[in-house]
Amino acid sequence: MTKNQTIDDAIDKPILTVNKLNVVARSSDKDTAILTDISFNLSKGEILSVIGESGSGLTVLSKSLMNWLPSPLVASKGSVLYRGDNVLNLSTNELRKFRGKIFAYIGSDSTTALNPTVPIGRHLVSKLRAVMPEYSETQAQKRIIDLFDAVRIPSPIERFNEFPFQFSGGMMQRVMIVDALCTDPELLVADNITQPLDVTIAKQIVRLLYDLRDEFGTSVVFSTASLPMAADISERLLVLQNGRVLEEATPKQIVDNPGTNYTKALSERVPRIWSAKHTPMKSLTQKTILSVKNVSKTYFTTDPKAYFSKQAVKAVRGVSFDVLEGENFGIVGESGCGKSTLSRLLSWVEKPDDGEILFENKSINTMNSSELKNLRNQFQLILQDPYTSLPGHKTVGEIIIEPLKIHRSCPPQAYSDRLFEVMTEVGLPKGTEVSLPSQLSASMRQRVNIARAMVTKPNLLILDETMSSLDQVEQARLLDLFDELQRRHNFTYIFISHDLALVRRACSRVLVMYLGRVVEMAANEDLFFNPVHPYSQALLSAMPTLEKNRFDASKVLLEGEPPSPVNIPLGCSFRSRCPNALEICATESPPNSPIRSGQVECHLIAQDKNF
Amino acid sequence: MTFVLSFLLRRLSQGLVIVLLVGFVIFSLLRIVPGDPVRIIVGPMATEKQVEEIANELGLNDPLPIQFGRYLSEITEGDFGNSFIKAKGGNAASGGKENAGVERAAVLDLIKNAIPLSAILAGLGTAFALMFSIPLGIAAGLRPNGLISKLTFALSSIFVSLPNIWLAILLILIVSTQLGWLPAIGYKGLSYAILPAIVLAVELSAVIVRALASSVTTTMQENFVQAGVVRGLTLQHMISRHVIRNASIPILNLFGAQLGGLLLGSLFIVEYIFNYPGLGLLTVNAVFQRDFPVIQGVAILTTAALVIINIMVDLISAGIDRRLQY
Repeated sequence: MTKNQTIDDAIDKPILTVNKLNVVARSSDKDTAILTDISFNLSKGEILSVIGESGSGLTVLSKSLMNWLPSPLVASKGSVLYRGDNVLNLSTNELRKFRGKIFAYIGSDSTTALNPTVPIGRHLVSKLRAVMPEYSETQAQKRIIDLFDAVRIPSPIERFNEFPFQFSGGMMQRVMIVDALCTDPELLVADNITQPLDVTIAKQIVRLLYDLRDEFGTSVVFSTASLPMAADISERLLVLQNGRVLEEATPKQIVDNPGTNYTKALSERVPRIWSAKHTPMKSLTQKTILSVKNVSKTYFTTDPKAYFSKQAVKAVRGVSFDVLEGENFGIVGESGCGKSTLSRLLSWVEKPDDGEILFENKSINTMNSSELKNLRNQFQLILQDPYTSLPGHKTVGEIIIEPLKIHRSCPPQAYSDRLFEVMTEVGLPKGTEVSLPSQLSASMRQRVNIARAMVTKPNLLILDETMSSLDQVEQARLLDLFDELQRRHNFTYIFISHDLALVRRACSRVLVMYLGRVVEMAANEDLFFNPVHPYSQALLSAMPTLEKNRFDASKVLLEGEPPSPVNIPLGCSFRSRCPNALEICATESPPNSPIRSGQVECHLIAQDKNF
Repeated sequence: MTFVLSFLLRRLSQGLVIVLLVGFVIFSLLRIVPGDPVRIIVGPMATEKQVEEIANELGLNDPLPIQFGRYLSEITEGDFGNSFIKAKGGNAASGGKENAGVERAAVLDLIKNAIPLSAILAGLGTAFALMFSIPLGIAAGLRPNGLISKLTFALSSIFVSLPNIWLAILLILIVSTQLGWLPAIGYKGLSYAILPAIVLAVELSAVIVRALASSVTTTMQENFVQAGVVRGLTLQHMISRHVIRNASIPILNLFGAQLGGLLLGSLFIVEYIFNYPGLGLLTVNAVFQRDFPVIQGVAILTTAALVIINIMVDLISAGIDRRLQY
């Protein structure tokens, strides 16, 4: 079925018609509008994306399609018509015939969608049999296992008997897709399903959904906050703002010819990777400020399958790199690649099992506790979560000056001067010093975090996913702030992030991690335009962008997920997913080849004399 | 299976250490508290020489660690020593008469005779408590603001504040003496266990019903319950197959951590009031009579029982929720 035909069908006989739907939050004295006059049609086999920022009503819209509005939300006006029946008027009993059988729903938080104490297979079999009683127990099991195979869940029979907590986010989302599609529903509501996933996994899931739509002819309502993702998957887009439909158009129209300023801003805000100029700060002195030499860290956890033995989780395996004074150094990788462990090692919250870290040519390994305390004055860690990294019972002022007290950096009379100085620098308005963190927004809290880190005038700031809890507008503002602070104080930053767009925008040199190893390190331009390692290429191909991706996902995107850091394959750890693996990759670790501005660990490169 | 074996090995070895420690503490404390057991055995009329002889015979003049070591080595042979007081026939062997030489009852035998009776009482009490708390706790937990919930919580407040001694005497007075429905004192058959079991159940159910209700309420709020309904399952299915299963884990842990102790504690009191010849009555009497071997034996065995109950509880919990195996 071509896209044009699908749209024609939509005009002919839509299977779903949403007509002037209004949803309110009802309290005893008044109604607060959440959704206002939402109308759209959906035809058989069509994918419609609904895009909007958090707070725009995306999830409420998705849930109201299932007639699943938790109190105090009420559909006050309008209808959700499925082939003429208003879903909103159905009784609990009638709804049961709808949910699962005709409409299926997948939410963003797949890890809490199933009871963690019951094996995966049981959930799916009992749902299939509840919705389609004609299936016997064995038939249902067979169907689920076949579908697991179809959505490329490895070893489906074993996984059928495993428990939800043993599944990664991406695998769990595949399970939920099977759960939704095993009963051949006509409509699938996919509510922000890629949101918690890593880019390569999110891309896999979107492609899977797209293929399944072709196979089953299911209509899909795909809600997401990511415009590139929506443009990638759907035939039509609905732009939602403050609970109203602003615009309905094809992805091409939205990108090339947006109908409203909001849509235009939305599309402009999507980071441009290749078409924009980025000039992150480079080191002027070329002096090494932090030197990491072959550090490793292994954790031990209980192994339920062995007697008294622990299993070794090799989180960081022999990582080396230098950070130069005044530069922005990026460390990227997906979940489980070891970047958080590395940040704990860099900030000496934990000690490496092996290897050495030098700060300004002094080894941290051999420092005693008072030297270490002095050192902490000079480098600071800013954490990911602005909610849990601030003590809730202290005022912002107390939080920010606490490091001064610990390090006795200045006489107590000077505390308040320093406090206001720092607060002005990070953009905290006067008066916030008496607030509690809970009275501030996420981005304000993150500024408190930054102020606390800066107050002792450190040289090096380690930013561990500091931006990931903020929206793109706030991220941009904070990045500007970082630039300015850097110019003023000659800070060195280490950005640890999963977000390639952020790294592209902010960092002069970038290190790519996979399973605790550095697979490639290169200058920004080199990495984004000519990545050499197949993993770097795959990461870039999975990036949601509105420009044409320089890397074709169908050629370089990875299948599957990284192996567990407990069972790291022999030889090259990337071999199990590498599209071009050689024989030698199975037996020997790839050598470290210096290339251009950095280094790469790959047999393909080592054997290619052109580099 | 590997999990179960390594779990049991690890926990049983830890448990052994706990039992030994408790044993040693009890053993030492009993020898520090005032009251000379030999004097009790031989009576006030005996001469110092006789006292000394008996003390030597019983090994009470040796240093404490030696006494404890001897005690442990005897235990490994299944010998918990002999009662200072009780004669083999069951009558008291004390009183200062010439019968200090009467063969005294083995502690293990005394405990062996008492355990089945206590087990009947504890089992019956727990069964009554569960019969009452499970339906009410689940009903209250499903509708935390409903009438049943309010009544249940009020009732459990009353239950928890009733002194068991008062309740026991009241029950004896009304059900046994006035109405004549059930026997109350001693033990001649199962019907003798019913009244004391009710007293135990009242105390236990006050705790269980509250914990169960709040555990069900918390589980009902988990995302997977509503998500299951939207996936196409009925709410009844979600409750019977998932909510009750998950809500049972905190209750099991409560059993291990608190109820074991509570049950044993009240067993002692309740048995004493009803003169019910179980482990509790044996111990209370032994304490009054400074019957060290009996107290030690009971203490070690009940500690071991508590340790085993806790191990079982954790094992079952880990069977219900596999995450606990990690």
